[in-house]
Amino acid sequence: MARSNEVNLNECKMVVPLNTWVLISNFKLAYNLLRRPDGTFNRHLAEFLDRKVPANANPVDGVFSFDVLIDRGTSLLCRIYRPATAEEPQPNVAELEKPVAAEVVPVIIFFHGGSFAHSSANSAIYDTLCRRLVGLCKAVVVSVNYRRAPENRYPCAYDDGWTALKWVNSRPWLQSQKDSKVHIYLAGDSSGGNIAHHVALRAIDSGIDVLGNILLNPMFGGQERTESEQRLDGKYFVTLRDRDWYWRAYLPEGEDRDHHACNPFGPNGRSLEGINFPKSLVVVAGFDLIQDWQLAYVDGLKKAGQEVKLLYMEQATIGFYLLPNNNHFHTVMDEISKFVGVLVHEAHVPVAFVISVLLSRVRVIERNNEIREAFCFLFETTE
Amino acid sequence: MPLYDSASSSAGSCSGSSSSSSSSKPPPPPPLQQDIDGLLAVAGYKIRSSELRQVAQRLERLETAMGNSPADFSQLASDAILYNPSDLAAWVDSLLSEFAQPPTCSSEFIPGPVNNGSTTAESHTPPVQQNITYEQRTLDNQLTVVTATEEDSGIRLVHMLMTCAECVQRGDFSLASSLINDMQGLLARVNTVCGIGKVAGHFIDALSRRIFRGIGGGSVGGGGYAFESEILYHHFYEACPYLKFAHFTANQAILEAFDGHDCVHVVDFNLMHGLQWPALIQALALRPGGPPLLRLTGIGPPSPDGRDSLREIGLRLAELARSVNVRFAFRGVAASRLEDVKPWMLQVNPKEAVAVNSIMQLHRLLGPDPIRNSPIETVLNWIKDLNPKILTVVEQEANHNQPSFLDRFTEALYYYSTMFDSLEACRVQPEKALAEIYIQKEIGNVVSCEGSARVERHEPLAKWRRRLSGAGFRPLALGSNAFKQASMLLTLFSAEGYSVEETEGCLTLGWHSRPLIAASAWQAVAEAGSSAACVG
Repeated sequence: MARSNEVNLNECKMVVPLNTWVLISNFKLAYNLLRRPDGTFNRHLAEFLDRKVPANANPVDGVFSFDVLIDRGTSLLCRIYRPATAEEPQPNVAELEKPVAAEVVPVIIFFHGGSFAHSSANSAIYDTLCRRLVGLCKAVVVSVNYRRAPENRYPCAYDDGWTALKWVNSRPWLQSQKDSKVHIYLAGDSSGGNIAHHVALRAIDSGIDVLGNILLNPMFGGQERTESEQRLDGKYFVTLRDRDWYWRAYLPEGEDRDHHACNPFGPNGRSLEGINFPKSLVVVAGFDLIQDWQLAYVDGLKKAGQEVKLLYMEQATIGFYLLPNNNHFHTVMDEISKFVGVLVHEAHVPVAFVISVLLSRVRVIERNNEIREAFCFLFETTE
Repeated sequence: MPLYDSASSSAGSCSGSSSSSSSSKPPPPPPLQQDIDGLLAVAGYKIRSSELRQVAQRLERLETAMGNSPADFSQLASDAILYNPSDLAAWVDSLLSEFAQPPTCSSEFIPGPVNNGSTTAESHTPPVQQNITYEQRTLDNQLTVVTATEEDSGIRLVHMLMTCAECVQRGDFSLASSLINDMQGLLARVNTVCGIGKVAGHFIDALSRRIFRGIGGGSVGGGGYAFESEILYHHFYEACPYLKFAHFTANQAILEAFDGHDCVHVVDFNLMHGLQWPALIQALALRPGGPPLLRLTGIGPPSPDGRDSLREIGLRLAELARSVNVRFAFRGVAASRLEDVKPWMLQVNPKEAVAVNSIMQLHRLLGPDPIRNSPIETVLNWIKDLNPKILTVVEQEANHNQPSFLDRFTEALYYYSTMFDSLEACRVQPEKALAEIYIQKEIGNVVSCEGSARVERHEPLAKWRRRLSGAGFRPLALGSNAFKQASMLLTLFSAEGYSVEETEGCLTLGWHSRPLIAASAWQAVAEAGSSAACVG
């Protein structure tokens, strides 16, 4: 038993930088303290341990933030992040909701992770990530402080997400000047990814256009034990046991993991064929034990004819996107900015040619030394 | 206005000295004391980089301890009073003292991998104890679509390169140099073993040389570089078909031009290792009616170390000629620059059929000043005066001599990207690596040199056509047999992607429809001398 622990600890230490290892291991440790075997959760200790940061209406690195209560009934808060413009270094309260200035401004509704139970919109790690997304995508980011399990089970998180979506869609000051519509993307990591999917689902036929879903290591599962779950159980910070605990905490009591919230393309799932579902960018970490479910999700979208791009980051563990100290982080950030459509074209170079250079590939056949000699004498003399 | 239900530490998360202090001020910037890990500080944890290893080990101990009795752990957590989670080291220690059993013996703990806890990307040496086996992912287990993301970083790099070149053109060197830094950072995240990353790397180097060392710091020159250049040339010859194509096509044209002549004289503008000539000698040997007397005059840079390398090559060629019964004479002309060669040095006999062979040499004669009598005109004039049966010209099919730096840069990026891409087909080392260096030097000259130092002044075929016609030459069409043989050559070289094209009597070899090298043949318009048999 101790032996296999040692194996596991060594493995994950080899694939992440040391400070990442310390961070995620610390989370793992803390989370172990918080989950009680009887299914209850030590919420007070969780809030004590969670490192939080306040909103800051003073721009820091070009981004300022403020909190808004968008539903009094459920105390639903969102933290809004906006890029600071040059002329307003210190927006006053009246200017927080100043209309967005550009032709097209993406608005990313972000759902933080934490397996439905942990973290908040004002958690330091998520505040950092959202700020980064603002700069990266030239976007406004709305981070939703959704209600968490086990105190609030399914469908509370989805309800909150849906409320946030409606709220964002109806803000005049978030409308892009080009078409006076709000250009909305849904994004989330872990449970947040799961929420993004389900909110997008609810948005179908509602008249609210979601332009794209960005799912980072989205949390999905099912009754079956998949190969990746068995192979990677306990190896890279995450155990099947804790995954099970979180699903039990979120899903309605008595439901199993084939509930459609957990397993959207499973036996109780809804077909997305012919549905106007947004395009998806799905990031899967190669060391995430639930990757089989994530890949099945991608598959499910594809089979339903939906547009989906998979980024499989082979050597990535969960949480790789929390610290900008690895290649996966940068790769994914680049992809996200591309997905939200903000690659700036400096118009000197037709990108097409670069593509053609990059995409050309050669199949090599073995060179034969004899042939090389022979060609020297391969002349037809004129008759 | 703290609206969230965070009981404490909403603002004090980064200072970490006292346990709970809520304030409505924005959080202080992370403390920049000695080696605090900046990334963890932003995440709300204060820990020194030097402590990371230690804390990691303690986390492992805690984990092990927890593994032994998980239920106890959460119970104890409810009861214990914990302080200051931001001070990670202290917090972990406090947990350890609450929960962990003291270790029975130190051999139970695996020493951490040898790293210094720096915040760079994941490359760790494996742990010392290897008696643990675990399933290891094989590298060819790639489901990955990382090439798509490579593309994107590649595109970013290209855009940045263009911006940087534009800055250079505008003279904004400070912005250019900061772009260089950015690009080097971005390079670290891109695969530089192949593809756009590799090419970009060379262009970034060339640009930075231009910016930091000034133009004229040319890496291409005569003298001491000659020997090195020959080696690189030879490997470039081996690694990809461009030079072979050049030699092959030129030889075919020369062979045809020498038809019916008994005394023939080839003037080679750049002998190198004489790679082109064994094949011609062989072909002449096999010619129906017997071989002519062959004279070869090879021009090349003087050897730096007193060796007469030209003569050595001549001797080897003479031996080959002897072995196939071709009467052969060799003369070497040492000159650092082609324009230093005077026609009398070539000792051309008026009765011989002369072939002048220029493989990627004429562009070097295009001096910086197009108005004045540049060397190209001088040389073309005396070539004409030699009245050659044929002038074979092979040149890079590229527009690297435009007046605007940005235009040149763009063109070079496209051209050399394509060439590098084609080089991926080569699997032979060190040929491939040295061929790349050969190309890299060209890039360096095109991008970072100016004035007389910039010798790689490639011009496209269309321009050469105009220039040569204007100088009094008429084109000799390369026939379908040349085309056929060039195609056969490519089949033998057997890499898909190369393409031979015929265009108005000239042949080009390219990669995927982008021509990279063009071969053409010419004859002086002035009266073609009658081919009299010569005596002796």
